[in-house]
Amino acid sequence: MTSNKVAFVGAGATLLWVAIWAWLTREGGPVSELFFPSPGDVLDRLIMFWSRPYIGSTLMGHILSSLSIVLAGWVLGGIVGVPLGIAMAWWTRLKWIVFPIFQLIRPVPPLAWIPLTLLWIGIGDAARIFVVFIAALVPWVMNSMHAVYSVDKLLIDAGRTLGANDRKILTRIVIRSAIPTLLAGARIALGNAWTTLVAAELLAATAGLGYVALNASRMLDTDVLVVAMLLIGLLGVMLSALMGLAARMFAPWVKNDRNGG
Amino acid sequence: MQNQQSTPKLELRNITKWFGPKDTGVCAVDNCSLAVQKGEFICVVGPSGCGKSTLMTVGAGLEQPTEGEILVDGKPAGPPGPQRSVVFQKFALFPSETVAQNIKFGLQMCGVDAKEQERRLVEQLKIMKLEQFRDAYPSELSGGMQQRVAIARSLVMQPEILLMDEPFGALDAQTRTILQEEVQRLHREHHYTVLFITHSVEEAVYLGDRVIVMSRRPGRIKKEISLPRDVVWKRGDIEVAAEHPDFIAARREIWALVREEIIAQ
Amino acid sequence: MRINFLNRTRSSDSSRLPLIYGAGSLLVLLILWTLSTSVLGWIDPMTLPSPAEVVARFGNLIVEPFSGSTLAGHVGASLYRWALGVGAAVLLGVPVGILFAWLPGFRAVFNPIFEVLRYIPPFAWVPIAILWFGASTATQAMVVFIAAFPACVINAQLGVQQVDPILVRAARVLGAGQGAMLRRVVVPVAAPAIFTGLRIAISNGWMALVGAELVVGKVGLGFLISQGQNNDSVSTIFVGIIAIGSLGVIIDTLLQRSETVLLPWRKPRAQRDG
Repeated sequence: MTSNKVAFVGAGATLLWVAIWAWLTREGGPVSELFFPSPGDVLDRLIMFWSRPYIGSTLMGHILSSLSIVLAGWVLGGIVGVPLGIAMAWWTRLKWIVFPIFQLIRPVPPLAWIPLTLLWIGIGDAARIFVVFIAALVPWVMNSMHAVYSVDKLLIDAGRTLGANDRKILTRIVIRSAIPTLLAGARIALGNAWTTLVAAELLAATAGLGYVALNASRMLDTDVLVVAMLLIGLLGVMLSALMGLAARMFAPWVKNDRNGG
Repeated sequence: MQNQQSTPKLELRNITKWFGPKDTGVCAVDNCSLAVQKGEFICVVGPSGCGKSTLMTVGAGLEQPTEGEILVDGKPAGPPGPQRSVVFQKFALFPSETVAQNIKFGLQMCGVDAKEQERRLVEQLKIMKLEQFRDAYPSELSGGMQQRVAIARSLVMQPEILLMDEPFGALDAQTRTILQEEVQRLHREHHYTVLFITHSVEEAVYLGDRVIVMSRRPGRIKKEISLPRDVVWKRGDIEVAAEHPDFIAARREIWALVREEIIAQ
Repeated sequence: MRINFLNRTRSSDSSRLPLIYGAGSLLVLLILWTLSTSVLGWIDPMTLPSPAEVVARFGNLIVEPFSGSTLAGHVGASLYRWALGVGAAVLLGVPVGILFAWLPGFRAVFNPIFEVLRYIPPFAWVPIAILWFGASTATQAMVVFIAAFPACVINAQLGVQQVDPILVRAARVLGAGQGAMLRRVVVPVAAPAIFTGLRIAISNGWMALVGAELVVGKVGLGFLISQGQNNDSVSTIFVGIIAIGSLGVIIDTLLQRSETVLLPWRKPRAQRDG
């Protein structure tokens, strides 16, 4: 099949699935509204949500709450993680010291820190930012480290023969050629941050899309619940797309490879 | 001598192959006709990218020609199958199966019973000198050994036609020489019908009863050279053969034809 | 001796030095932790319990039930839900991934649903799972399934797409039909990629399970740490976190080991790479 044909079938299939959804959830259909809303209900609810507040805020308020916490945790993770990762690759001894601690923390899901965080800092923005920070930190560090390792040793030799000292080699050659991998790490970190935030909002929040979803579930507002889920998905895709755009802007010499994760 | 009037074992008749839509895509093969008689060893040489591999792929039935037809024993050939066995340049061994499993693969697909499978496997292992590698995985073998397995996997099917697509192209020069002599011996002893694609002029002169020179893309048949078949020098090793005046003359003639095509690009 | 990135002698890498540094660093961490809690008492034990307290709590949780179960009970419940969800994801996801690669038409039709599944984070399904199944095993298993499913599909698909077309041709020439081709050539060759997918699926599933258990349920490791929080028992949380982390590592190690057993033809290549 040609790619045109695939796109065509895909669009047709999407319509078909929405039609099946609408048919199943129609008035008096086999799936009750309490179980899953109809596409029409979801659309109505989305429009209504835009202007009328639901548990404290309008849609924009919840979205902004989620986004601001994700960005705060992600940026903090980068501020700590990138220098740490680069330093670990640059000074092997530092890696020997820090890496075992990392190996210890890595297998623990970031969410498992939530109860501890709640005990230590209490329910608030700081707790969520901290959990998002932990989730983002590991990919930030690992990718920054591997970014330095992946620099072609030939380039360093070339820089040396051209008279660059260690500092110049780090700033002019290593960090610059590490940018694509760094950006890939940034993207993974943002994805992790977003996923973890949603979970954190289920547990410790007074606003945000995850908070909306959980409350909607308790109040049996399936339409709100589906609106929140779709928005969570959509925002995740948008954040990832933005990072892709950034990669093309800051490292235009790299062909954008599609990752299978 | 072959009776040229008899029905060819394999015939490619007026084959044209376009990749992509006709006239806007790439024409790989342009109106090629080629007949392989029973027991004949035909070599096709040409510059790289001239469509000689395409000719083989079409001949094997793995791809449909845009125009023209493939005949086996004078009848239109069906889908690809074990009667037209193929040996690929990159060996194409199944990595998750041992040497024995690889060689038995085709027999199992045809529903040959287990006892017969084993008998033919043992026979083939002996012919290709692979007895001690029976239970090895392909990744444990050298390139030359892997290609021996691939050839054994084709021969065990007792194919009516053997199609070989630059089978020694991925091997080092020493291994290649040994396998060339091996193939020469196999053909002499078993009279296989072979269509052999290569870019090596020496190989073509040494192995082929006829050598077909193809032009650069779009591939057309430029010239056909018959080489005496039952000459003494073809029975010997290749480095001995390569010193024979007839060999040198044939190699010169063919190389001049190929060189024209390469330079014209 | 300068040990850094620009130093090209690799000999130090294979020495015991990294191990010594690593052990030292962990030891210092442990000593600091002990000093600041039990010896010098800088930190309130309600905030950070001493290592001894955590170990004591660990022993305690093994014998005495906490929030309804002993530690073994919580571990068992978590493993059971995880196995249900991951098992379903593998049984469904791997065939779907193979079909996605093998039949472009099938992929075109089902891809829209898959993309929705893939891009909505697993935790966002927790509320709807609660709505559908309540506080039951099915809720947790569903969240695990959703977390594990995409990795199975994507990697199986990738593995099949990466199978050298020449192998498929060779099989065709030898007379193999679609079924035999898939069973004997395509799936075995794609198996390492499928295995990678399995490992990702398993770890994603484990992470999602903990999240789901934190929100809903009456047993399980996630529930254990949330109960630790409710009872202001930081040492319980620590035991829970350590159990979650080490089980994750154990499962992944077992899986890695089983790969060399299940895919024996990969061994020589792996050795060559290593």
